Amino acid sequence: MPGATRVRWVLVSATAVALVASGCSSSSSGSSSSNANATFTYQSGEPQNPLQPANANEVNGGRVIQNLFRGLVDYDPSNSQIRMQVAEKIDTSDSQTFTVTLKSGWTFHDGTPVKAKNFVDAWNWGANVKNNQINSDWFSDIQGYADVHPKSGNPATGQMSGLTVQDDTHFTIKLANKVSYFEYKLGYPAFSPLPDGFFNDPAGYGQKPIGNGPYQFVSWDHNSQIVTKAYPNYQGVDKPKNGGVVFKAYTTSEAAYADLQSNNLDVMDQVPPSALASYKTDLGSRAIDSPQGAIQSIGFTLYQPDWSGANLNKVRQALSMAIDRDTITKTVLQGSRKSATAFVAEGVAGYKSGTCTACKLDVAQAKTLLQEGGGVPGNSLKITYNADGGHKEWVDAVCNNIRQNLGVNCVGDPKPDFKTARAAITGHQIDGAFRTGWVQDYPLNANFLAQVYRTGASSNDTGYSSPQFDQLAKQADEAATVQDSETGYQQAEGVLAQDMPQIPLWYYRTNSGFSTKVQNVSFDSFGNPVWTAVQVKG
Amino acid sequence: MPDPFDPENPTHTRLPDTHALDYAGNQGMAVEQDQLLETRPEKREEARSLWQDAWRDLRRRPIFLVSAVLIVLLVIIAIFPGLFTDADPRHADLVNNYLKKPNWTDFFGAGWFGYDGQGRSIYARVLYGARASITVGICVTLAVAITGGLAGMVAGYFGGWVDALISRLVDIFFGIPLLLGALVILNAFTHRTVWSVVFALAFLGWTQIARVMRGAVLTVKQADYVTAARALGAGTRRIMFRHILPNAVAPVIVVATIALGGYIAAEATLSYLGIGLQDPTISWGIDISSAQNVIRTAPYALFFPAAALSITVLAFIMLGDAVRDALDPKLR
Repeated sequence: MPGATRVRWVLVSATAVALVASGCSSSSSGSSSSNANATFTYQSGEPQNPLQPANANEVNGGRVIQNLFRGLVDYDPSNSQIRMQVAEKIDTSDSQTFTVTLKSGWTFHDGTPVKAKNFVDAWNWGANVKNNQINSDWFSDIQGYADVHPKSGNPATGQMSGLTVQDDTHFTIKLANKVSYFEYKLGYPAFSPLPDGFFNDPAGYGQKPIGNGPYQFVSWDHNSQIVTKAYPNYQGVDKPKNGGVVFKAYTTSEAAYADLQSNNLDVMDQVPPSALASYKTDLGSRAIDSPQGAIQSIGFTLYQPDWSGANLNKVRQALSMAIDRDTITKTVLQGSRKSATAFVAEGVAGYKSGTCTACKLDVAQAKTLLQEGGGVPGNSLKITYNADGGHKEWVDAVCNNIRQNLGVNCVGDPKPDFKTARAAITGHQIDGAFRTGWVQDYPLNANFLAQVYRTGASSNDTGYSSPQFDQLAKQADEAATVQDSETGYQQAEGVLAQDMPQIPLWYYRTNSGFSTKVQNVSFDSFGNPVWTAVQVKG
Repeated sequence: MPDPFDPENPTHTRLPDTHALDYAGNQGMAVEQDQLLETRPEKREEARSLWQDAWRDLRRRPIFLVSAVLIVLLVIIAIFPGLFTDADPRHADLVNNYLKKPNWTDFFGAGWFGYDGQGRSIYARVLYGARASITVGICVTLAVAITGGLAGMVAGYFGGWVDALISRLVDIFFGIPLLLGALVILNAFTHRTVWSVVFALAFLGWTQIARVMRGAVLTVKQADYVTAARALGAGTRRIMFRHILPNAVAPVIVVATIALGGYIAAEATLSYLGIGLQDPTISWGIDISSAQNVIRTAPYALFFPAAALSITVLAFIMLGDAVRDALDPKLR
């Protein structure tokens, strides 16, 4: 998934343990007692598409789908590890053929049981080019995907040959290539099961979805709110501790923040930039500051002669070492980011801090490296960015660092909007360097590395190509277990630290908060609250 | 904005100057006439021109003196900003100076107006920002005065199909909103400097001058001295530049001076929108734009560049007003 090419501010990570406890500190009366039947409100917006699992890749629809459905697995919000939900187990001996065993007792909200067939039918439908689902390329690892989703023309068949139903509780998935961490992808909402009733009227279903998740659909009042309630027969490990979630549509985060402070909104998504400096004082122990699985970096045009020289990796290391990340995140970015020390975002499975050895401020060493590498071509550096994303401030600050510490003429080059900037980047129309980033699709280090740095990968914007990295990544893909794959990719990260195709800058944070009516609010690495854990005081 | 000197535009017909009559009545007509009688022989010899009249008038107007002093000061700042500060406007020190408050006792020091969101001296940036604004203002005004003036003169003098062609062209350009058009033009530049902004504004701004000039030329063309010159065998070029231009240029100067302030504001607006000047050029518009994010915590980062911009625009508009009053014969 080209995650960086989408605007998805929702996702990730895990660490909010400390914050979980903090909700109770304020009052003695309501802190421990909670009303399991009461609902809470969340800052959302009008979904762009009908509520079909394979058709939601923007946040407003995505977060509703995520609550209405449970797939085979999901991610433990405390550590981003994979957690079995509908699946009893997923077995594989070769990382290519996976045998899925389902738990019994799971039902859809209409009472029908969740069977193996519901998964296979849903995936085939989602992958089929005729159904025009935005997330269909998530199924592209599965054998036979090209038959149901040809690049042009009609599909030869409606079934992917890699999916075989054995009985009501067993099915097998055969992949086109070995992917040791395929289980991780299965946590994405596109892999949700669909009830038999869906296929009679997919469009009508998208307005009134029936899922198998912790919450069931109640009503959708367009451009106002979507109401859900807890599903009493939910079989998952994360049974709701509240009565339901109401997704209220807001057009500005300023309005949501005002509502939160007056207790008209219970949990919000992200505080507005104008409140970043003050929200912790405003909200006290109700403020949230937790990591997200997203990273921001500066990429280089390695496909151009200027930056393809052998020794220029030293120059890129030098540039990286001239940036004072700690000061910039604290001042210009007002604590909304945390300095990066690796190529993978913090809180993701397989994350290892310190893999980027040149991510520390060291001006003396930077000057030495700059000289050894022969200097920046033309002694000038242009950093292209999109002017509509609030990037100007930090690009200017980074350039000031580079100019004052290394004497390199560094300037920002704003493109009017995200689309224009991305078109220039993917069209290789960039001169020197550009802002880039990656938002996790699933909380695993492979997602940050394979799709960005492998030769010819879908989001390899720098044109980086290293046989050594490719080899290590291939080995990691073919590893026996997910853990081995994580270690394998950590080794591959070592190659990146030498070559520095991109300069990692910082990780994103979730800066949010909640009202006095709720407690036990924490956020995962996708930037979503742990919905089922929220308690409504009463 | 209506063209104050467009003879086709009747909005500027004025009542007789009752003020002048009052003045004469109060001070005593006799005195005035005595003076006139006394001085008349000398004046005949000097033959005060419109320009000399205007200058005499201007010197007595406080509004002109104030704006002239301001503009001279701004031009000096624009040419030699280093005279007023030792601080480097691009030096950023986030560690020590992030949004540091103004130090009012540090007169002309780097910290006088405080520091911006990049830890740069706001005082130094306000001074160095003058150059871009004034360069854009003056260069655009010169460019539109020359191109628009020429086009208007040719159209007014030759008339016929030449006039029709130029006038329709002017109409077409007049239909393009200045800011919107400039946004589109500047988007085409991958690297924008002061000169690209000057080009965009001048490209769209010449029409107003052309209209004013055409109107003035149409009036002057009827004058007897033009007919006389032609009868004496003067060539087209001589008539245009020696006889018509000096007598038709006054309204152009007035309109151009007033518009100058508008061009400075347009440059700041474009830079504010991120489509005008770019780093490393220092511009008030860019600084105002970046200061708006921190307006709650550091209002001074917004106030000083905005105040500098207002004062500059005001100074040029005041000058234009004073010049108009001095040159407008209808006011006499």
